[in-house]
This record gives sequence, structure tokens and C-alpha cells, in this order.
Amino acid sequence: MAAFMVRRLVISVFTLLAASFIVFWGTSIAGDPMSDLRGIQDEGDAQQQIDARSRRMRLGDPIFVRYLAWLGALLTGDLGENKFGQSVSGILGPAVSATMQLVVAATVLAIVLGVTIGIVSALRQYSGFDYSLTFAAFLFFSLPVFWVAVMLKQYAAIDFNNWLRDPEIAVPVIVVLGLVSGLAWMAIVGGDRQRRLTSFGVAAVVTALGLWALSASGWFTDPGLGLIAVVILSLGGAVGATFLLAGFRYRQPLTAALVTAGIGIVFYLFSEPVLEDPNWLMILLLAVIAVGVGLVVGRYVGGIHRRQAMPAAALSAFFTGGVIFIDYLLQAYSTYLSRVRGRPISTIGAGTPNFQGDFWESGLDSIGHLILPTTALLLISFAVYTRYSRASMLEVMNQDYVRTARSKGLTERTVVTKHAFRNALIPITTLMAFDFGAVIGGAVITERVFGWQGMGHMFIKGLQEVDPPPVMAFFLVAGGSIVVFNMLADIAYAYLDPRIRVG
Amino acid sequence: MSAQTDRSATSGRQSADAAEGMTVVARTQAEIIRRRFFRHRAAMAGLVTLLFVIVLAYSSIGVGPIPGWWDKTYMSTASVLDGGRPTLSLVPGFLGGDGIRLGEHPFGQDNVGIDYFALVMRGTQQSLTVAFLIGFVSTVIGATVGATSGYFRGRTEAVLMRFTDVMIAIPVLVFAAILAAAAGRAGIVALGVAIGAVTWTGLARLVRGEFLSLREKEFVEAARAAGTRSTRIIFKHIMPNTVGVIIVSATLAIAAGILLETALSYLDLGVRAPDVSLGSLISRYETAMQTRPWLFWWPGVFIVAIALSVNFIGDGLRDAFDPRQTRVRD
Amino acid sequence: MTIPSNPSAQPQPGIQPGPSEAALAATPDVAAATGGARVASGIAAAKPPSREEVLKVENLTVGFPTDDGLVKAVRGVSYTVHEREVLGIVGESGSGKSVSSMAIMGLLPKNARISGTIRYRGEDILKMSKKAQRSLRGRRIGMIFQDPMTALNPVYTIGDQLAEAVLSHETVSRKQALARAEEMLALVGIPQPKQRLRAYPHEFSGGMRQRAMIAMAVINNPDVIIADEPTTALDVTVQAQILETLLDVKDQVNSAIILITHDLGVVAGTVHRVLVMYAGRPVELGETDEVFYRPRMPYTAGLLGSIPALDTASGEKLRPIKGTPPSLITLPPGCPFAPRCPLVTDICDDEEPELASTDGLEHWAACHHWTRLAEAEDPTKFFRAESEVRR
Repeated sequence: MAAFMVRRLVISVFTLLAASFIVFWGTSIAGDPMSDLRGIQDEGDAQQQIDARSRRMRLGDPIFVRYLAWLGALLTGDLGENKFGQSVSGILGPAVSATMQLVVAATVLAIVLGVTIGIVSALRQYSGFDYSLTFAAFLFFSLPVFWVAVMLKQYAAIDFNNWLRDPEIAVPVIVVLGLVSGLAWMAIVGGDRQRRLTSFGVAAVVTALGLWALSASGWFTDPGLGLIAVVILSLGGAVGATFLLAGFRYRQPLTAALVTAGIGIVFYLFSEPVLEDPNWLMILLLAVIAVGVGLVVGRYVGGIHRRQAMPAAALSAFFTGGVIFIDYLLQAYSTYLSRVRGRPISTIGAGTPNFQGDFWESGLDSIGHLILPTTALLLISFAVYTRYSRASMLEVMNQDYVRTARSKGLTERTVVTKHAFRNALIPITTLMAFDFGAVIGGAVITERVFGWQGMGHMFIKGLQEVDPPPVMAFFLVAGGSIVVFNMLADIAYAYLDPRIRVG
Repeated sequence: MSAQTDRSATSGRQSADAAEGMTVVARTQAEIIRRRFFRHRAAMAGLVTLLFVIVLAYSSIGVGPIPGWWDKTYMSTASVLDGGRPTLSLVPGFLGGDGIRLGEHPFGQDNVGIDYFALVMRGTQQSLTVAFLIGFVSTVIGATVGATSGYFRGRTEAVLMRFTDVMIAIPVLVFAAILAAAAGRAGIVALGVAIGAVTWTGLARLVRGEFLSLREKEFVEAARAAGTRSTRIIFKHIMPNTVGVIIVSATLAIAAGILLETALSYLDLGVRAPDVSLGSLISRYETAMQTRPWLFWWPGVFIVAIALSVNFIGDGLRDAFDPRQTRVRD
Repeated sequence: MTIPSNPSAQPQPGIQPGPSEAALAATPDVAAATGGARVASGIAAAKPPSREEVLKVENLTVGFPTDDGLVKAVRGVSYTVHEREVLGIVGESGSGKSVSSMAIMGLLPKNARISGTIRYRGEDILKMSKKAQRSLRGRRIGMIFQDPMTALNPVYTIGDQLAEAVLSHETVSRKQALARAEEMLALVGIPQPKQRLRAYPHEFSGGMRQRAMIAMAVINNPDVIIADEPTTALDVTVQAQILETLLDVKDQVNSAIILITHDLGVVAGTVHRVLVMYAGRPVELGETDEVFYRPRMPYTAGLLGSIPALDTASGEKLRPIKGTPPSLITLPPGCPFAPRCPLVTDICDDEEPELASTDGLEHWAACHHWTRLAEAEDPTKFFRAESEVRR
């Protein structure tokens, strides 16, 4: 396995090297690097600047020689300077972090949402849910990212922020949303007529009442979860985790998950000093501890069913942690809202300029800036992942081994989550590698619409100015991260499919 | 596919007769495919929409020197009427609307009084031309590279596939942007060819996979044993069996093509001013969203209509060529 | 694999009419006497089948709605499986033999339209709750599938997949379940079972995988094992071994077997009774020797005539049945076999014959003209006249 990975890595590096020359060459012939100087009135001054830039860009040499010079400098860790003489690595640093936030958030969300919904759609093939989703996926495939982004800017940011000034949901809107939610749940739950009607009714009423309560209590001006919501959500999460990973045939896994959620709630009550103003490292550490606690509880409460109890409790712990995290974020909301003058959804840039706040406030600030570009970027990938995982799941559900699993008398839950799910994921890992490149391309467009000074901006600017070094820096990061992502996909593939582990 | 086995049986038995036998089978097979395609409702809706858009775009403002039925051009300005609001009405009179009519400026006017209908039609023409060019170029390159590397194997395959890997290492939009930066200045044909030249990699891999499996089939062996030339085997014996994959990919390449072209034009790297495409129109009137939202809406609606209908056509073709019909097992 | 002998050349003394219990009890000896030496010892040593009914299928019909109409895959099948009995179901693809067994397992797709009753020890499976059905599957009724290359999940170990079958029905620890799995692998003749538990399916050969499938099917000591073409996908050399293993294991766990196959050679000397199916219906049912030596349905006779036997004279040609089975969507009103039948008369086109008793004991056939077969010296000869051209 290790040898295989090293071989792949070496091939990738050479591929990247060849590709980098194509990019360098393409950028160099993209136009006239001096066009901005041609308009200068003082001809002597213009000529002087042109000569200086020509020397800096080594325009006297053939393109290949220039490329070798760039490559040589790169090997010493020097990314060169752009045609105005600024150091590229200086511009690259902040650009990378902004863009990577965007790309990673969009990719992770697309995978999680797309795969989940795609699989549900496959399990409910030919339902209203499946048909609507298929249509939605086709629509998303056909949407120009930049057009959607501009629309999001108008409706999801400007209009939403305006609405927040007086956040009340009109009764007809509540009714419509309730009905939509009822229809969706009816199709997802499935079953016979009575069961479908029940799920429709329950979902519609719960959604409508929930929205009404949120609207009437002024939740949108000062949102928060509070102890009661945290308890309900955590215990619900425990039941959900048990359903997904263990089922309810035995008592132990459910007990373990509930106990873990309980521990989380107790922690929440005394968490103030720890979570007052944490940092990301601490959050990560707490997440690891939570999962560890879940595993230990599952181990001891689970008894002979510990193999099911441990993952269920761990997932429950993780979920409870997430609920607490969101609760803290929401607690900081009203402070944040007043600091951004009541307009939390931002349309420009990756962060509010000169914003200083504690962990939670700057977290909200990032979310407020990330949410729209991520949504715009997400749509296409989401559509790809749903279509792909739906097809994959349908294919797997027709396999002989799924029939075998059923013939053993396993529950449908085990058949789906254990036998079908893992096999359905295998082809999706290949998609991950392909899709990541597309997301980076999409980020170039999204950044332009939302005015981010990220890598995409750097690339477009460099290309338009016929200035190879910034373009090359962009390509190194983009190509490099694609290679890394490919490796991750390979590792995931090898983990999922024992057949290729011997290679 | 059952067609494959049918054909392989025919040509395997008598390779001299192969071509004749295949055309007979292929015709009936083509009929089945056509029937399945025309029964696909979404694909039919897509086909009708696409044809409507094409006819509308080319007949309204005409092509080159040939004039169309619309009396305004996309360059001439006029006085701005009613703040440039669209005059198109689709609500009939008896429903309380203004009746079905185009009016003076169906899609409105921009801030200097250019008729927006004519402008959008011009953009649609350019975008369609580029999209079909992309589809054509990428399909030809992809099918050729895939067929060659799949059929010949060995060194040819290794070189072509390494080259494909290099291409794939560069994100498509990035690669297209780089080539379009130079090609866009040379006009829309150069732009279409340039983008087509970077979007063929997926099809090449697909076709190669098909060829790798088909070249081992009996009917190919029979043709080879009979001393048939490689080019003839590729084009007469194997290619017809991959035609489904290629046609479906070509369709999807057109849909991806229009999105790619409009995105590049939006970034000012595709179709350049003074010429327009649907993408550059959005870029030009992006800031008008608040004051004249129709300037932003129309080109977007046309992009979505074209891409969506082409995608549906592609879906119908895929179902027609590769039906996963539920069969009773025994 | 060949059937024991050419029926016409060596007419065998059949079972004399007598009490039906005796007839059934006698079957193993007959099987042993008439060939099938390979498996005879297995059957002879085991406890003989009893009259206790384990599974009783009555008037089962299964249809699948498609774009072109309802596919009537099974049209009224009835049969009984007794304790420790081996029942063979024979038919070509599309005859409904697999679909009817899938109905027993509750493994048909959701859109299937099922009617009739399937009683397991008197209780109708089709009317049971989903939960009760599930607890029957894999515990009371085990199933072995045709293709062992695809029937095992490639991403889990053999041990995991075996243990899972135990854990889904019993409250035992994983360790105990794995111990049982190891025991079962040993039983089906897999060497070094402890190490093999940790192997993945792709590390097994086809024959080994089918052995593992057998182990999986019997791990909960079921009453009935449904084996759906268990040897068809295997190498000819291992087919006999797998069949032997299957019968051997059956005796160890004292279960009945429904052996579904299109291969009469597999049935010969293996099963106690044979059910022949054609176009979704049973056309002949009887004890193996009865059916083999005195077929009372032209289709069975045709099948027997189309088997190559080692002792077939070199000049003699095989006698295939002409034509193909009818479409299950638009079945003509008469006997579905009529278009291919050499004995066809007008009544065959008008009326579909019911399964009715014939001259043999417990021997049933669905044919208007079974008496003509009974009168003939060699029932397979009817197929000779048309299809054979002597050199």
C-alpha cells in the first residue's frame, strides 16, 4: 500500500510538472504584458518602464528558458515576483487561506449532503421526493454559477438582511413551508397510505408550529438554543445515532448513546469557563475527547453488543458536541449583529475589515461571509454527488450480495447501512478526486462575484495582465491540493475496498 | 447491451458478411433507440425548447447579411421608453392581463436605449455557436484519442494517457481560461475550438474503456483474423458499438460548453466587447440588478433554458441507448 | 454429468402401488439402486424423510407489472416439502422456478404481485408481519444462490458475514458467533477454518465461496434450504463436490432441500421428488424415478431426450425441443407447451390442462394426452420424428 502511494505521488509530481509548463506557456502568450504602459503620454517614461519590466520578466528569452528560470527559483522556495515587482508569496498567503476555507467548506458540505440525499433518493426510488430531487439536480447542473451567485447576493443577503430588521414570518408563508415540509417527509418516510398521511400531518404541523413559535418569540433577533433545546436535540441525536448505527433490537446501544448524550449535557452546564473564548485547537481537542468518552461508554455499557454500542455512542457524543457548539455561536449572535449594524449576511470579501472579536464572534463573522459563496459553489457539486450516489446505491441494491444479506434475515436497516452503503461509497471516492478540481474552478468565479481577494482573483488578474508568476503560484496551490485530494480519495478507496489493498 | 451480442454473433460467424449483417441489425436497433428516445417526455420537452430557442435566435435578428423578422438591431440605440421596462406580455386579456403581445421592446432596453431583445438574441447566437463548436471539437478529439489508445494499447496508449493525465491535472475552467485569454481575441470560432481542446478528457477515458473491452470480443478477433485493416476495424466494427457513449457525451459536452463559455465571458476572458454572449451580458448588467433587474434576468433565463434542455436531451439519449429495464430473473 | 441410463433401453421396475408412506420411505433405496452412486451413501445413511409437512405452497401466483403488461412469472404453483426431503424443481429459465422460491424467502421486488399461500409449519408466510418473516429467513429457511462470485459481499470478511447470520437471530456474543462460523466452515470442508474466517471473498475460489455460502445458509440449523442453481456457475469439476457437500450438510443439520435447477443430471440420484415447471406452472410432479422413467408430460419427455448421455450411440443425434417458451405477458388460452409439442391436438390450443394424477403413484402431470405417453415404449421418441435427420 505504501509503495503504491509513493508511486502514485511520484507520477503526480511529474504530471504536475508537465501541466505547469502548459500553464506557464499559455499565460505567456495570453496577450501583451505591456498594454497598461502603452497609453502613457510621456513616451520616454513609458519606454523606460517597458524596458525595466521586460528585463524583470526576461522577455528577451524564449518562453521555455523563462519557465526553467521560474522552476529553478521555485526549487529554492522562491515564487518570484509579479510584473510590478511585488513578491508573489506575499500576496499568496492570505489569498490561500481565504480560498481554501471556501473550497473545503463547499466540498465537505457537498459530499455530506449530496451523498446522504442521493442515497435516500435511491432508497425511495420513483417517489415524489426522488422525482423532485432528480429535477433539482438537473436544474443545478444547468445553472451558471455566476448568475446564481448574483441572485444569492440580491435575495439571500440584501433582502434577507432587510427582512431581519423586522423579522416576522407571514402566516401564508408559514402555511406553505409547512405543506412543503409535510410533502418532503411523506416522500422520505414512505410506507403505506396511513403511514404517509401520518408523516405528512406530523411534519407539516411541527414545521408550521415551529416557525410560528420562532417568529412570534422574536427568535430571529436574538436566537439561541438554551438548556431545553440542547437537551431535546442531544437526546434526539442519541436516538438517531442509535437508529443509524445499531438499531433498537437490543437495549444496550441506545442506553450507551443516551448516557453519552447525558454526559454531554452535564458538561454543557459547567462549560462556561472552558468555552468562554476558546480557540480552534481547543475545539478540536474537545471533539476528540467527546468521541473518546462515547467509545468508552459504549465499551462498558454495550456489553456483548459493544460493537454496535461504541460507534452509536461516539456519534451521539459528536452530535451533542455540535449542538453545544451551535448554542455558543448563537449566544454570541446579538453582540455580533449590533457590531455589523444588523446585516449579518455579507456580500463582499472573506471577512469584515478590521473586525476584532472573541472566538465566537469571529466565527460568526466567517460564517456570515462564507455562507453565500459556499452555497453558490455547492449547488453543482451537490447535484453531481446526489446523482452519482443515487445511481451507485441503486446499482448496489440490485447486487446479489444485498439479496444474500436479506436472505440471512438481516433487518433492512443493516442491509442498507452495512452491506449497501459501504459498497455504494466505493465509486464515489473516485468522483471526489474529479470534483475537487471543478470546485476550484468554480471558486475562481464565485470569488469574483463576491469580491474575495483570494487565489481566484489572483489567477484572473495575473492572466489578464499576462503575468505568469501569480498564475503559476495559483496553479501550484490548486494542482497541489488536487494531488493531495486524490491521495485522500485513494486512501479512502483502499480502506473501503479490500480487493485493492494488495497492490 | 443486447445489440452487442447480436452483432458479435453475426459478424463472428461470417466476417465477410459482417458489414451487411450489422447494418440490418443496426437499423432495427436504431429504430428501437429512436422509439425509446421519443417516448422520453423530459427529452422531448428539452428538444422542443432547444429548437424554439435556436429558431428564435437565428430568425429574429438574422445571420450576417441575411435580415431577420425583428426590426431592431443589437447595436442601434433609441430613446429609452418607460424606463426601459420590458413590454412583453404573456397573460391573455380574459385573465386580466395585457394580452399576448411583444410590444416595442419585449425584453426592455438598457440604459442607452439598445433593444434588449435584439441584444439577447445576438448573445444567444454567439453562445450557441460556441457551445456547439465545443461539443463538436471535444467529441472529435476525445473519441479519436480514446479510440486510438484503447485499440492500439502499448506505447501509443501510454503516451496518450499520460498526456490526458497532464490535461486533467489542470482544472478545466483554469485551462479553458488560459487558452481563451489568447483565443478569445481571435473571435468566437477560435474560442470554441480552444475550449473544445481542453474538455475532451472525460470522453477520451470513456471511449478508451469501451474499446479496451470491445477489442477483445469475438467479432473483432474475427475481423482481425480475416486481415482487416486497423482503421477499418476501428471505424466499421468497434466505433458503431460505442456510438451511444459518444453521442450522449457529445450532448453533455454542449451543455457543459455553454456554461463554460458564459462563465469565461463573464470573467471577460471569452467573447469580448463589442461582441456579446449571454455571459458577457450578465457581467455587463450585473450592477443593474437593483434598478433594471430584467437586464440581469433575460440572459440568465436563456442560459438555463439551453443548458437544461440539452441536459434533458442527453438524459433521454442515455436512457435510449442504455436502458436499465427491469427484467424478470429466473 | 449424465443421467444414469437411457430410460428406454433399461426399463426399471418402478415402485409398486402401495401405501404412500412406504413409497416415500422407499425412495432413497431406489435412488441408490438406480445410480447416483456419488451421493447415494449420503442419503442412505441419513434419517429418511418423514410425512411431516414443513413447507406447503398452495396456488402461488407472482406477477410483475412492466411497461408492456403484467409478466405472469408464476401461475398457480402448489407443492409440499416434507421434513428432510429433497425436492427438485426443474425448468428452463423463465419457467418461474426461481421466482417461486424467492416468494418463499420474501425476496421479490416490492412491485411483485403475489397471491396464494405459503405455509411454514401451517402458518402462512405471506400473511406474517415483516418482522416474523424476517425471523424466518436465514433461521428456519436458508438460501444458497447461483453465483458465489457475486453473492458474497466483497468488503467484509467471510467470518463477519457468517457471524452476522447468527447474530441477527440469536443473542450471543460475537466470539460465540465466530466460533459457530468456524465450526460450519469445517463442516462444509474448508481447510484451516480459523484462518479462513479472516479472509475476504476475493481470496476464495468459486467452489470455496459456494461452500461458504452453504455454511452461511445452514449456520442456524434451518428446516429448509433453498438451493437455487447451486452448481450452475461453477466449474464442472467442482459441481459434483459441491452437490455432495450440500447433501452431506443437509444430513448433519436434518433439513429439507428445495433444489432448483435446469439440469436434469443434477436432479438424477440427488432428489426424492421432482417438480417440472413450464411457463410459470408445474407440469409434472412425482418421485424421481417415476418422472425419469415414465414421464407423463411431453415437455419432460423432451427434456429427457435432449440430455447427452455417455452411452448415446455415436450415430444418434440429440433430440432438442424445437421452439422457445412463450411470452409470459401474452399467454395463449391453451396449453403453453402446445406450439412445441409433438402430440398437439385441437384441445391443447383451447384448454390448459390441470395438474392431474396419472397411472403412476403420486405422479401428477398436466397433459391432455398423458395416456399416449403411457402407451409408448419410449416416451422420448415423439421428439425424434421431426427433429432428427439420420446421417
